[in-house]
Amino acid sequence: MNKIAATAVLLTLLAAGTPALADEKLVLIVSADSNITQLDSLQLRKLFLGLTVTQNGNRLWPVLNETDARVKEIFLQNIVSMSDITYDRSLLRLTLIQGQRRPTAYGDIALLLKAVAADPSAVSYVWSKDVARDPRLRILRVLWHD
Amino acid sequence: MPHPPVRTPLLCLALTLLWANSALAQHEHSSGEFEVFVAAEAFHGSGAAPRDDADPWVNADVVAGLTEHQFRVFGELLATPDEVDLERFQMGWEFVPETVLWLGRFHEPASAWNTEHHHGQYLQTDITRPYIERWEDEQGIIPQHITGALLESRQSIGKDGAIQLSGGFGAAPALTNTSLEPFSLIRSDPGRHGPSITGRLAYLPEYVGASSVGLLFGHHDLQASYGLALPALHSNHANLTIYGAYIDWTVGPWRVVGANYYVDVALARTTRDESFISGYLQVERQLPRRLTVFSRWEDSARMQESRYVALFDHEDGNLEIALRRQALGVRWDYARRQALTLELSHIVSLHQQSNEVRVQWSAAIP
Repeated sequence: MNKIAATAVLLTLLAAGTPALADEKLVLIVSADSNITQLDSLQLRKLFLGLTVTQNGNRLWPVLNETDARVKEIFLQNIVSMSDITYDRSLLRLTLIQGQRRPTAYGDIALLLKAVAADPSAVSYVWSKDVARDPRLRILRVLWHD
Repeated sequence: MPHPPVRTPLLCLALTLLWANSALAQHEHSSGEFEVFVAAEAFHGSGAAPRDDADPWVNADVVAGLTEHQFRVFGELLATPDEVDLERFQMGWEFVPETVLWLGRFHEPASAWNTEHHHGQYLQTDITRPYIERWEDEQGIIPQHITGALLESRQSIGKDGAIQLSGGFGAAPALTNTSLEPFSLIRSDPGRHGPSITGRLAYLPEYVGASSVGLLFGHHDLQASYGLALPALHSNHANLTIYGAYIDWTVGPWRVVGANYYVDVALARTTRDESFISGYLQVERQLPRRLTVFSRWEDSARMQESRYVALFDHEDGNLEIALRRQALGVRWDYARRQALTLELSHIVSLHQQSNEVRVQWSAAIP
């Protein structure tokens, strides 16, 4: 009985300490003013690897979400399919070969949302709870869910 | 091209603007990038191995770029204790996504190694580069820097793959008694520069992947610098035609990089042309704890008989052309953007055999 109680307490503590809850979703977002319609997995991968992706004649700009480690982990696994070090080297390589810009990164969610809302060509990803009922932003699709 | 005293301030102004933009421009349609690749190296040689100036003990490679809508400008400045040189300076127009027309000084696309690593030592797994891929000021025998126009394009093919095409046309390096001298953007340039045409056609199994395999071509009209005769060649110019093939393939923790070049040398005022072959194969294997082991094998045929190759071999022994080389090493990425590398080499050159041990620290900043 004591073992069951201890396990329950431990699970509760673990759940409380984990930012992504069971129903959490990572979503792809753009500005509400953006005319970006949809991006498939290959376009998204190209975009976050620094290659040129256009839609309706406009070049899209990727915005990295570095507000928590779990988001970064999901991004690396599900969007670019690379380890942290390989992704970093890919971006460095792009800079070295063509002087290309790396994606802008934000460590503060409020600043990230503000930046995406202000730029119709920006594309980023956040927890769905961070953009719920935010009129400045539009969700394109769910990238990952628990 | 403006006269050097005018050209230098203009270039400095362009670089200053570019750097200023790199630091400040982050609004929606303009962006800058700034990166410094640094490396420091220790060397020990046996068997009369010279500590040649191909490997300065410390160097910094500064890359700065600016993107404004479809236009790009970027430069690569290499600083060592012996020299500061603007290795690349390119202005580009991306008129179709992933198709860019560049003007300026660029690395020739027919070099399998240098178009991948350029001067950024940190992104190169090993310490040394294959001898056939050496820069002109490092006793390199194949032109690497061209000043003119370069077209680069990558287009989808099939479900996931891509075809990459690069073609360049411009001024080839000039030929002196001991080296090739590329057109300089920041120093006076007394050389005579003939035309050069180079290209690469590559297949990428993944559009966004790192693996590729392809064919290389280059034709360079190398003119002797003003006032110089080249008695060793019995000629005042040499036409180099290069045919090559390369592979750079990654499968899981394994990576294979290899290239083979056939070089035909046509000399004026002689009835006998010459040719030689040079190639290399490097195998890398990633291990746990961010360790990577690598091994490279270089070989050549008929290089020792070439009068053109002999032109670059210094009589004092301070510089050596390698005919064959075996290298073995290990790299440890011990911290974010920092690595330590140990490399052991056995070299057979035109005049002697030698062994080398090198240790290098390399990093990318920030």
